[in-house]
Amino acid sequence: MTEDRLIELIEAWGADPSAFPEAERAAARSMLAAQPARFAAAIAEARALDSALARLPEILPSAALTERLVASAPRPKAATSGFRLPKFAPWAPASGFAALAAGLFMGVMVAPAASASSDTSEVESVIEHALGYDPAAFTEELGE
Amino acid sequence: MAFTSDLDQITRAAAGDPAAVRALVNRYSPGVLSLATRMLADRAEAEDVTQETFLRAWKALPGWEPRAKFSTWLHRVALNLCYDRLRKRKESLPGELPDMADTRLAPHEALDQSQRVSAIEGAIGALPERQSAALTLCALQGHSQAEAADILEISVEAVESLLARARRTLRAQLLEGRTSP
Repeated sequence: MTEDRLIELIEAWGADPSAFPEAERAAARSMLAAQPARFAAAIAEARALDSALARLPEILPSAALTERLVASAPRPKAATSGFRLPKFAPWAPASGFAALAAGLFMGVMVAPAASASSDTSEVESVIEHALGYDPAAFTEELGE
Repeated sequence: MAFTSDLDQITRAAAGDPAAVRALVNRYSPGVLSLATRMLADRAEAEDVTQETFLRAWKALPGWEPRAKFSTWLHRVALNLCYDRLRKRKESLPGELPDMADTRLAPHEALDQSQRVSAIEGAIGALPERQSAALTLCALQGHSQAEAADILEISVEAVESLLARARRTLRAQLLEGRTSP
């Protein structure tokens, strides 16, 4: 530590050696303690500016600004209760076409058998009896 | 410790945890607003810069990687936004000299506290922008030399040089009543 260097430190960082760069702090303190009169003027000037700066009021955000900052933040993710479809799944169009094709195929295979069923009249008869409906009487009424 | 705590709060804020968001705002908005106010000498513009800084922070949170301290990153963003605004001010006033307030105090003048504060604030606002930033970060906000160097993206030695020039100018204007060379 030289005298010139100590003057530079005081001029840059102020009168308090604790604000000096850590690597030079101890040496600066030693020199100040050894020759207080030599650096008294520099310390006094620096201290006057330090106290002028310390008098500046703290700048704090208003409550309104704080609320605007909070409101601009990301929203909480919505709670996921039960099954939710994903917004986009690359396989979705393919699966839709597959389902459509399977449906058409099943329809083509099953339709002829269903329409040609010989069980249809038997089923109708069971339902008519269950409802208390007599087809023979109905035919007679029509004949009258 | 603060670093770990930051990371935890950043992770929770990115997921939209309101308490973590508010904690980050409460912890860092005073420093950002103070830096912007000292740099721009305009409260409304400083609030705009603070809002823009936090908007950028919210966007950056989901992919945040702790390579730098959140505080350092936030102040650097704010500072760059201030530089942009100061550059635009100069561009919008072509050919005009910057408005330098006469902040010198005559020794016989008995200024009250508010006048002194105004004089000091005016003198800081009239400093070259990087000197003003270095002074605000180190002398007013108490950032360490290394933090200030990171925010300003310069070496610690360069921070010291900026501080020395800033303090010399302020001393000349405020305490000695003369213009710095």
